[in-house]
Amino acid sequence: MSVPLRDYAIHTVIGYLGAGTLLAGLVMGGFATLLSFWAGWRENAAFVQVGRRAFYASAAMIVLASLLLEVGLLSHDFSLAYVTEHSDLSTPWPLVAAAFYGGQEGSLLYWALVLALLGSASLVASSRLGLRLAAYAAGILAAIETFLLVVLVLVASPFDLLAITPPDGLGLNPVLRDGGMLIHPPVVLAGFASFAIPFSFAVAALLAGRSDAAWIAHTRRFALMAWALQSTGLVLGMWWAYHVLGWGGYWGWDPVENVALMPWLATTAYLHSSQVQERRGRLRAWNFSLVILAFLLVVFGTFIVRSGVVPSVHTFAVSAIGPWFFGFLFVCLVFSIGLLAFRSGSLASTSRPAPTVSRESAFVLQNLLLIGVIAVVFWGTVLPLVSGLFGQERVVGAPYYERAAGPLFVVLLALMAAGPLLPWRHAGAPLLQSLRWPLAAAGIVLAALLVAGVRSLPALLAIPLAAAAGTTCIAEYARMGFRLRRSGQGLAHAAAVIVRKRRRYGAYLAHLGMVVLVVGVAGSHFWQQERVVALSPGEQVTIAGYTLTYTGADQRQLADHTELVGAMRLGDQTLEPARATYAGLGGQSLTHAAISSTPIADVYVVLVGLNDDGSASFQIFVNPLVIWIWAGGAIIILGVILGNVGERRRAFEHQVAPSASPQPA
Amino acid sequence: MIPGLKWALLGVLVAGCVGYLVYSASGGSSEYYLTVSELRAHATSGDVRVAGVVQNDLQRSNGGLHVQFTEKDGTASIPVEYSGTLPDIFQPGITVVAEGRLGADGIFHARAVLAKCPSRFATTPYTQ
Repeated sequence: MSVPLRDYAIHTVIGYLGAGTLLAGLVMGGFATLLSFWAGWRENAAFVQVGRRAFYASAAMIVLASLLLEVGLLSHDFSLAYVTEHSDLSTPWPLVAAAFYGGQEGSLLYWALVLALLGSASLVASSRLGLRLAAYAAGILAAIETFLLVVLVLVASPFDLLAITPPDGLGLNPVLRDGGMLIHPPVVLAGFASFAIPFSFAVAALLAGRSDAAWIAHTRRFALMAWALQSTGLVLGMWWAYHVLGWGGYWGWDPVENVALMPWLATTAYLHSSQVQERRGRLRAWNFSLVILAFLLVVFGTFIVRSGVVPSVHTFAVSAIGPWFFGFLFVCLVFSIGLLAFRSGSLASTSRPAPTVSRESAFVLQNLLLIGVIAVVFWGTVLPLVSGLFGQERVVGAPYYERAAGPLFVVLLALMAAGPLLPWRHAGAPLLQSLRWPLAAAGIVLAALLVAGVRSLPALLAIPLAAAAGTTCIAEYARMGFRLRRSGQGLAHAAAVIVRKRRRYGAYLAHLGMVVLVVGVAGSHFWQQERVVALSPGEQVTIAGYTLTYTGADQRQLADHTELVGAMRLGDQTLEPARATYAGLGGQSLTHAAISSTPIADVYVVLVGLNDDGSASFQIFVNPLVIWIWAGGAIIILGVILGNVGERRRAFEHQVAPSASPQPA
Repeated sequence: MIPGLKWALLGVLVAGCVGYLVYSASGGSSEYYLTVSELRAHATSGDVRVAGVVQNDLQRSNGGLHVQFTEKDGTASIPVEYSGTLPDIFQPGITVVAEGRLGADGIFHARAVLAKCPSRFATTPYTQ
């Protein structure tokens, strides 16, 4: 893997081939765009087919270009500027391979790759949606792909050649030399890229004048996949920040985090409101708007990250692609709003409005609250821009987001507890009766917190409500079990029913995961303890009941850095917080926090430095319940997967009595 | 009842709440984001964030927990005093954002010091 190519003739081949491949992809993409729109408009089936195939051809070119870039990276082809800037001979090969999406040009190519693969997958079975809708969807997908290829070819090509081939590359920053870097960025990017699929089919449906739920059913899995990838990406990002950056926290409300959170919130809203349209034929215009909003937020996020218009602790790769994405955002915005306004007359609901207290209303309120959170985060993110236009630039920090979004999150938790218990159309069982278990759980937890001496109002609201929401999910599983027990059927049958209705029970599992995650966030947010101490060898410190003894420091020389380790004893464990110094990078240092995780709390130790008198300074955090954030994230993903594996396409789920013959999974 | 009126009322209600929350929260916690020369030009005693480049006069005391350094941008400079842990990439020559307030003693007392950290997408930041 690490034998560099020395032959100049072979060297430049990858650069030329790659650039040529991208150009071919661009031509095919532009052709697919124009042909699909024209053929859809004329309803010419043969040319619609040709347009779709042109998209596949463009996708194939992007796959080829990606393979070429990967070959260039792994063979250390330093004639490519991208390879030189993002890898070197000493970097382990998995990180060299990951440099494919580690830099700006490569991450754009990766985005195009995800869009090419998922777009092709979504188009394969699209013809039964009707000629126009399928053709327009291919056209929109091809247009987005073409935009990315224009940027890749004209402004940010990963295949640019250097005038002189250097003997070695520049390598990766040590902060980024971590396993987390292998999975976090591609997952986040794939989550963003995959939301282009629901967007394309939604816009195509609007263009074709189709207001039925066919586009929702067709892209449901893509929307769920986008949501699952974005959720995974956010949790992985938090995990990486917590374990690698060494500041004791996992979320800082930085603009880069905010622009990743907003599309996730919009996608969450859409996953709920789309059910209302699938089941009841309502909220049509709303669903179109949400999908468009989610996609626009993705483009907006890319623009913010690439243009450097807002201050952030991340130094952005400010580059020429910022204006391109701004233009793209502007075109998408004007086009989408114009289209929505043009079609607004045909989007009225066909069914009777639902009563005030119903599942439908719960979804509407949940959607409005999520939009509210988006508004809060959006305002906080763009405030420096807006205030800069009218005077001195102003910024907001974490307290703003906590005060403004916190109350909305609390109401959302309450909805999570009550919503799933509300019937779809009319009130069946009295509301209070169906709410008795969640209310009881909330009451018990509230009493326990009060007895334990908790007096913080946010904690007294959030944690009992989380308990209620969790009880609601568990009660749904229990109810199914009991009902079948009573009717004389065994638990095996209950399991079979859960498998058959896995979409619903998967959703409850995802809800449960969210509750677990909220408990982790609440615990570490409300009860984090922090202390900074200087200890001599043998001295000990007690924080939140954990006693740590400093045993001594050690200096280690490793391949490309030196490591200063200050060993601490916690019970029978030894924690080794360290500070690595990279001589090759101008003496840049890197904190290795030592973390001892238990289900109750994490003990998180950072070595600040050694002092002249032989003592060492430490920053020690006790972060309660943090482990449940990661567990909750895993449960959410498990719920999404279990809810959708091998599911047959079915727009409606019928409320039928359990059948006597259990169906195979 | 006009169809949709109920939802519209709910929407207005939620929008009103969100508006109030944003207004009340940003009133209390927004801070000015300044460069060193802007702070020098119109000194305020309130909480601000000041961006500038760390100069080569870093002094550590109290086991590295107390630091004093000078932040500079182009023309103006300001002494900064801070107790706590510094970001990993903190060193002379990098751009930092100090959060805190300018004291009557002319020293900027920082509550937090943030370093501009390398973006996961950025080219490696060493260009020496």
